[in-house]
Amino acid sequence: MAFKRRRRTFHRRKVCRFCVDGELKIDYKDSKTLRYFVTDRGKIVPRRISGNCAKHQRKLTLAIKRARQIALLPYTAIQSV
Amino acid sequence: MRKYETFFIMDPDLPEEMNNAADEKIKGVVASQGGTVLTYEPWGKNKLAYPIKKRTRGLYVLMAYSGESALVAELERIMRLDERILKFITVKLEDRFDPAKEEKAPPEEKPASGEEESGEEAGAESSEEEEKPAGFAEEADQEEKIG
Repeated sequence: MAFKRRRRTFHRRKVCRFCVDGELKIDYKDSKTLRYFVTDRGKIVPRRISGNCAKHQRKLTLAIKRARQIALLPYTAIQSV
Repeated sequence: MRKYETFFIMDPDLPEEMNNAADEKIKGVVASQGGTVLTYEPWGKNKLAYPIKKRTRGLYVLMAYSGESALVAELERIMRLDERILKFITVKLEDRFDPAKEEKAPPEEKPASGEEESGEEAGAESSEEEEKPAGFAEEADQEEKIG
């Protein structure tokens, strides 16, 4: 009883943007879209935060990794030279 | 026949005629290996996310072509040797490519449309972020009052 949690949990049902918006395509060349799914350190945002569905998260991960290869997205935050 | 696209970065500091020579060379490689260049579009000079060969800017070029896998191997070998090309990535677009079918359906889909959408997204994301901390702050206030 003492451990009864009083904190209200936020139940905002997140929806996958790529499922909702059919126009939005996952493309490794489109760095502007991909940037919303990357933290400012360059890490891929997890599914529980972004709300993507599993299918689109897989495709997005692949696209981000390709974009990194071709220097559209950073592997990590830019180090000071 | 397969359809591939190669997205590569060229040295941005080269004079124009050198760039054109590189363009012609790459197209020539595709043609000599029995492939056809479908599109060849320079994307302009962009800042790189990280330096490549001590350069912070690069000239991006996107080339789509059809051909066999041997063509890709040869193209990548030549790109690796070429000093003007900083980096490249090749992606297979279609496993079975029929050139006749392609002519009927003109190639659509440009990256320009994505930009507008991403702008809207920016708004959505920022509002979400703002809401959450506000909610927490309210709760904190209430607790203080109770205390």
